[in-house]
Amino acid sequence: MKKWIGMGLSLVLAMGLMAGCAGNKPEDQKPANQKPDNGGEQQPDSGKKEPVEFSLLLPTTVSSGYHTRVPDLNKDKWVLKLEELTGTDLDIKVMEDAKFGVMFASNDIPDVVGSIGGPGSKSMSGSVESGIFMPLDDLLKEHAPNLMKLIPKAAWETVSYEGKIYGIPEFLKSPSRRATYIRTDLLEKTGLQAPTTVDEFLNVLRAFKELGVETPYQMRENFKYADIILGAFDVLPYKDQFELADGQVVPKFFDTDNMQKALETYKTMYEEGLIPKEFATISSTDFTKSIDAGKPGIWSQNASGLPGYRTNVRNAVPDAQIDIIPSPKGPEGKGGYFYYSPVVRTFYINKNVDEARAAEIVKFFDWMVTPEAEEFFTFGIEGDTYTKDASGLVTYKFPVTKEQQEEEGWRSGTIWAVHDATYNKLRLDLNEDGKATLAAFDDVLSQEGLPGIGFYPELSSFSKYPDLAAPSPDVGPKLIIDHMVKMIYGKEPISDWPKVIEEYKSKGGDEIIKEATERWNNKQGAVRIDIE
Amino acid sequence: MAKVETSDRMMYQFTTPGHKIKFMRKHWPLYVLSIPGIIFFLIFRYIPMFGSVIAFQDYNIFKGIRGSSWVGLDQFKRMLEYAEFLPILKNTILIGLYDLCFAFPVPIILALLLNELRIMAYKRIVQTVVYMPHFLSWVIVGGVVVGVLSPSTGIVNHLLSMFGIEPIYFLGENSYIRSILIGSGIWKDSGWGTIIYLAAIAGINPDLYEAAQMDGASRFRQVASITVPCILPTIVILFLLQIGNFLDFGFERVFVFLNPLNSENGEIIDTYVYRAGLVDRQYSYTTAIGLFKSIVGLALIMIGNKFSKKVTGDGLY
Repeated sequence: MKKWIGMGLSLVLAMGLMAGCAGNKPEDQKPANQKPDNGGEQQPDSGKKEPVEFSLLLPTTVSSGYHTRVPDLNKDKWVLKLEELTGTDLDIKVMEDAKFGVMFASNDIPDVVGSIGGPGSKSMSGSVESGIFMPLDDLLKEHAPNLMKLIPKAAWETVSYEGKIYGIPEFLKSPSRRATYIRTDLLEKTGLQAPTTVDEFLNVLRAFKELGVETPYQMRENFKYADIILGAFDVLPYKDQFELADGQVVPKFFDTDNMQKALETYKTMYEEGLIPKEFATISSTDFTKSIDAGKPGIWSQNASGLPGYRTNVRNAVPDAQIDIIPSPKGPEGKGGYFYYSPVVRTFYINKNVDEARAAEIVKFFDWMVTPEAEEFFTFGIEGDTYTKDASGLVTYKFPVTKEQQEEEGWRSGTIWAVHDATYNKLRLDLNEDGKATLAAFDDVLSQEGLPGIGFYPELSSFSKYPDLAAPSPDVGPKLIIDHMVKMIYGKEPISDWPKVIEEYKSKGGDEIIKEATERWNNKQGAVRIDIE
Repeated sequence: MAKVETSDRMMYQFTTPGHKIKFMRKHWPLYVLSIPGIIFFLIFRYIPMFGSVIAFQDYNIFKGIRGSSWVGLDQFKRMLEYAEFLPILKNTILIGLYDLCFAFPVPIILALLLNELRIMAYKRIVQTVVYMPHFLSWVIVGGVVVGVLSPSTGIVNHLLSMFGIEPIYFLGENSYIRSILIGSGIWKDSGWGTIIYLAAIAGINPDLYEAAQMDGASRFRQVASITVPCILPTIVILFLLQIGNFLDFGFERVFVFLNPLNSENGEIIDTYVYRAGLVDRQYSYTTAIGLFKSIVGLALIMIGNKFSKKVTGDGLY
């Protein structure tokens, strides 16, 4: 009796194991033979035309949010509506950018792959260079008149490889994105003017400290969104912040004089308690929490976040008044933050997609910059999330809860694949906070920011020396960040900066500079990122 | 003494093949039972081993193993030439050593203590409470530890300030990071580690204790002369396995605590592999490092096993 049970159990186990292993296979074929059961009944426009089927991979940087709450993304209400509007049948997947390497290695590549950054980004794992995706020049010329008209040249250059366009970019018309936020109500209490220079900035922070502000300036680990001083002295250590010096293309932190001044300033801030003593371990979560709780007096963030901050901080501090001010200038009159690469995300078409379908896919993206698309992605569905009166005036149900905000983010961020991502004018025009944001973009941000030279695709020497390569567009190389943090904490003298540059050079920096200079001189994927 | 002789193990010598088949027939359910395990090891342990050949290639995921070019030992050379390699190896060895010295004995002591508890309900509650942290992910444990040790809001510094001690930035000092790593590991996993020892203790023949009590042995004496010797084989086996994993301290548990101020003493091979391999996608290079680690692990386990056989007469194989 017992024997039978034993055998039965082990057989079940063995079968289960085999079934489990085999279970992966059928998934590959799913997109092809999946019935268009979703949205089949609600397609008045496309009439008899068969919807175009394709799988679409959308990138994200977070492992939470709206897309993780929806049990089946292909039955999500916004996806269904998008399918209805465009006459497509999408098989949508969302994947964290960091996991793309695994996807490419498994060779299960969707028809359309969206990824953060351009073709040379790390997450693309060299797939464009290996010919996994098709060149799009002819298709774009024929089927995407709107995109060709709207997307700036620098963006097309960024998504090109060996002279051919390989992706459709979600683009930025204005590269100046980040801004300096201040609590105007606190500033008024100090009786000071908004700071315009680094010294005035320090004085305002000191006055905040006297007022009892817990965190006069909100720092964060690795100087991410805490680089106001690095910007003022124009020594941002980022990958798109190379500059020409004596005929060579070098990283901006080679400017010893200004770098040392910037580090001295941070050190002063650290010693006087103007920044948190533990800034080396302040994560992005701590950073957001602190700002939302109304703790800092000044902080750096994307300008598009203004309406959000006004709402969130007022929940904690009802009389908070938050504004964007021009960033304090350094001795050379420079200031602000780095200019973003003109490409936010890029969408590639798998080379195995046949030409007819590829054309339809290009049209799908081209539709995204039309007024109809803008209205859908911005406001949602008429009668559901917004109403429109006879004169065309829109009344939009603004999201209130975090869940609603995330749902809006999904609709007007994640699935709105291709558009000008600088700001959403339609949405911002609706209320006061939005108008203040638009004003900040037009009056403040357009006047500041730091241009630089970047490489698309990335320098090959970067992958050889991981400690010298910037892990993301707004974080410096580990070697540099480590020394900077140690110097601010007083563990190394700031006067040693020339030694840091020597160390950088000897550990592979020489090769990076040589390659950068050659590519710049030969105009091989070296892009100067600047205001047009 | 409960010295386990190798002869305790079942050894069958078959005189003829027929004899063997007969034996297998007799015990066929055991063979069937072993199938899932064998399949598991084949698919998930043995087949992936062939993937290690990419350590000798310049691997490109789109060309695959057959299409990528062979580079011999270049990846290993690059590893040894990397300026930070020796400090990282040193950190890995030191942290592994500390783990072995300080974290390994804790579950044993905890199990012995738990075993002495008299009130069943209390024992169960304590057991459950000490297991709990095992089910938290390292990211959460990291967040908790960073919070507890924070110089401005952490409870530890709050207590220190009551004694007039200036707040200490524990995570900002090279000298504390290893203690934090080992300490958080003990907090998280030592309760879980007691399970196997408690099971071993439960298997001890109660007659031994009864006899000892008759002879007037104290509780302490009973532990020292009966419990510890009886679970010694278990301890030895776990110790050897631990030695085999000497260089595998684990990536996550270190990564959550690393920052520029403590990475000098805290960075280990696993975190470097993450940085260079997964972030920068250098598959061959990091496979080479992984292979190096496995070989060191294998060597250590063989040395440990030999040593253990000499000293205790028992080993893994």
